[in-house]
Amino acid sequence: MDLNYNDIDIGYEMPAYASQPITRTHLVRYAGASGDFNPLHHDQTFIKVIGLKNVIAHGMLIMGIVGEAITSWIGNKHLRKFNAKFLTMTEPVDWDDVENTKDRATIIVRAKVVKKFEENGEKRFKCEIIAQDALGSKKLSGSFIAAMP
Amino acid sequence: MADKSKVGMEFPVYTFKVEKDKIIEFAIAVSQKENKEEINPIYYDEDAAQKAGYEGIITPPTFPTISFFWTGGGLMGTIKTLGIDLGRLFDREEEYEYFGSIYAGDVITRKMKVVDMYTKGKGKRTIDVTVLETELINQRGELVIKYRSTLMEI
Repeated sequence: MDLNYNDIDIGYEMPAYASQPITRTHLVRYAGASGDFNPLHHDQTFIKVIGLKNVIAHGMLIMGIVGEAITSWIGNKHLRKFNAKFLTMTEPVDWDDVENTKDRATIIVRAKVVKKFEENGEKRFKCEIIAQDALGSKKLSGSFIAAMP
Repeated sequence: MADKSKVGMEFPVYTFKVEKDKIIEFAIAVSQKENKEEINPIYYDEDAAQKAGYEGIITPPTFPTISFFWTGGGLMGTIKTLGIDLGRLFDREEEYEYFGSIYAGDVITRKMKVVDMYTKGKGKRTIDVTVLETELINQRGELVIKYRSTLMEI
């Protein structure tokens, strides 16, 4: 079911979307799918060399998860603009300590309508997006613009 | 550190075909699923995509990122050209503008250029920023997507 422009008021919230806890396997899968083989996302020996503790998720995987949240709500064809700023690094869950690491690896996406306007002959709205982990640390902030019937 | 003489540089133009299986792989990765039966069928089933109002099988919103990694020597080739240090590189910001959609089977031409390079901060705590702008044009000559990537070396 598609939403209509008139159904959406300023302050309207997109249904919150929670990722699965991101594992190293998710990172490897995303590396293969996107072609981003920066060792930062899979190679622990590279991580040591640059002075970090753990491999980190691709910013674009987090943005991809946000994209999935958005298109589950409004459908790809309505999307006109989509911006993201990456705020903090995301470490994956550790299999040998799932209880203490799953929250840092779980991404919760929220978005809220902040503006409704007409542009290029279309009825559009703008949403501000925040993605944070289950501990409350902000991972990504951004916005998207959609055109609705 | 990024070589600031590269501001304004246009990368060679590359053309690539949007393969069906690559779309499936990407959609599985960003939705954290295990196989294609679990993803939205608009990403693999022509009929389902048409019923949902699309010309054909479509691509997820951040799929255009592959054009950076699958052409021009990939990440390593591109950062070498720009003088960027892999050990300091992080993605800062990505902005996508959609004028149309990319469909399975499309032949996409990628035009990428360096639009800005600058240093933020002073002394030892400086960040070098490189901004790239990419246009993706389909086989009918239509600009379908434009995106801007802000990379930083910290």
